[in-house]
Amino acid sequence: MDYVLTVLLPQLLHGLVFAAALGLLALGLTVIFGLLGVMNFAHGELYMLGAYAGIAVIGVAHSFWVALIAAPILVGLVAAVTEMTTLRPIYRREPLYGLILTFGLALVFREGARQIWGGDMRRVLPPFTGSTPLLGMTYPNYRLFLLAASSLILFALWLFFTRTRAGVVVRAAVQDAEMLDGLGVDVRRVFTLTFAASGALAALAGLLLAPIFTVYPQMGVEMILLAFIVVILGGMGSMGGSVVAAFIIGVAQSLFSLWMNPQRVAIAIFGIMIVVLIVRPRGLFGREGVLE
Amino acid sequence: MSVLGWRALLVFALLAALPLVPGMSRYYLLLAFDALLFGAIAMSLDLLMGYTGLVSFGHAAFYGLGAYATAILMERGVQSVWACVGFAALVVSYFATARRGIYFALLTLIFAEVVYTFFRYTQTFGGSDGIQGLPDATVLPGLVIDTPTRKYYLVLAYLLIAYAICRVVVASHFGRVLVAIRENEDRARFLGYNVPRYKMGACMISALLTGVGGAIYPMRSAFATPDLMLWTESGEFIISVMIGGLGTLVGPIIGGAFFTILRDKVSSIVDWYFIVIGGVLIVIVLFMPRGLLGLRRIFSRRAAA
Repeated sequence: MDYVLTVLLPQLLHGLVFAAALGLLALGLTVIFGLLGVMNFAHGELYMLGAYAGIAVIGVAHSFWVALIAAPILVGLVAAVTEMTTLRPIYRREPLYGLILTFGLALVFREGARQIWGGDMRRVLPPFTGSTPLLGMTYPNYRLFLLAASSLILFALWLFFTRTRAGVVVRAAVQDAEMLDGLGVDVRRVFTLTFAASGALAALAGLLLAPIFTVYPQMGVEMILLAFIVVILGGMGSMGGSVVAAFIIGVAQSLFSLWMNPQRVAIAIFGIMIVVLIVRPRGLFGREGVLE
Repeated sequence: MSVLGWRALLVFALLAALPLVPGMSRYYLLLAFDALLFGAIAMSLDLLMGYTGLVSFGHAAFYGLGAYATAILMERGVQSVWACVGFAALVVSYFATARRGIYFALLTLIFAEVVYTFFRYTQTFGGSDGIQGLPDATVLPGLVIDTPTRKYYLVLAYLLIAYAICRVVVASHFGRVLVAIRENEDRARFLGYNVPRYKMGACMISALLTGVGGAIYPMRSAFATPDLMLWTESGEFIISVMIGGLGTLVGPIIGGAFFTILRDKVSSIVDWYFIVIGGVLIVIVLFMPRGLLGLRRIFSRRAAA
């Protein structure tokens, strides 16, 4: 019982906190997958830019809360410009080109960040400290806030996708952009706005996680591999699947690290994905034929 | 010799004469080694990417496994090149066939990441330092690969054999089916071809050739490190294919050589060379989807007009 309270429960909560932020990242990735037909390799770099943009804004405004609003907007703008200048011309081409293009973008963003902010590790101080007694243990307030904020955003996104016309339009674009074009919707604008929003979400996740992780130019590379696994596990192109899979992977990673060293955890997570794909090649909630 | 054609033979003859060029230093010979090795691996990858339409982000794993196979054998006193290459081929084909239908860019990427993690943290294989200080390899009793010139000829021989194999594969019925799969997988399936088996075959040939390339690398550098398996290395193979020209054999060789020389020259001038390389990649995707080989067509069209 003591073990459950002092070790297992905090670790489980850590997992949930991480999973909620991972869900934000994976959701953007899966929507972009639906639009482009490829994984966005630069998504991890938008996540990283979110953290650095946050540091830059905090340096000027001295407020974490201002940064939390401003950083996603800044990164969203970067994403919109990127989409208009590089991705738009190649939508009609094979997905292979999109994959390679985003790989090139990732290289440029990562090295750009290293040139601007240097390669060393940085920290962001949490906006508030202290901890709350919870179920017989004490848990840091910031992590609770992180869990609440991420869950709230995920819920808001769910409302957006199911209850608003704009959300339905984005979902339609994910399903069949050509048809949507035929129905008279300005698909190019939808693509640009969606790409910007997905970048802003990644940036938000980056800044929210920054106080509990460290910030460095390669931080996106490690997260993006996990996010790829999440999207594959949830089923390519399924938004709900990504969120569910993010919680599975986040909690699994957190619990495994109690009993294994980090590299075994990475291999175990990979093992989960392989087992799921053998049993169910389309992932948990994937549409038939996307991956098979 | 008819598999190669006279133009290829001429190019190989010129390449063979490269060490005789006056003023050829050790540095340039080893750079030429890297360029040709990278070109040969890019060509092997293009068999999968350009001909079959499967993008592998995990070829660095095959490359690194080949390198480790050599290093492990050499460390234990086996110095014959042929034993190293055979062992590498065995290891790599085992990994290549273990992943059947779910062959996909991301799966190969994550697979490579797991292989990287394994070697990075396994102290038996030297951890992050890898296996260092390997002795010179022996091709035949008495013929030791110890000078830059001999190393250069070793890689040239590898390139020649790999190119001949790729030519045969591409021209064969098997190669035609691969192109058919790339163009329309469903149609190839309806025509009665066992698509997964063809894909697996392509993957195996490509991985084997890459693994053999990896097996040669420690004979030049005398080490094998986990960094050879990093996913950025796989990315560099893909970049080489794109620079040269997707779906050709000669293109990736040129692309690999161009990329190696570009990286070497740019990184000695500025330390932000990744921006240059990323930028080159973006420009090629946007404006030159056929790569450097595409330029040839533009020029020939202009000459005709």
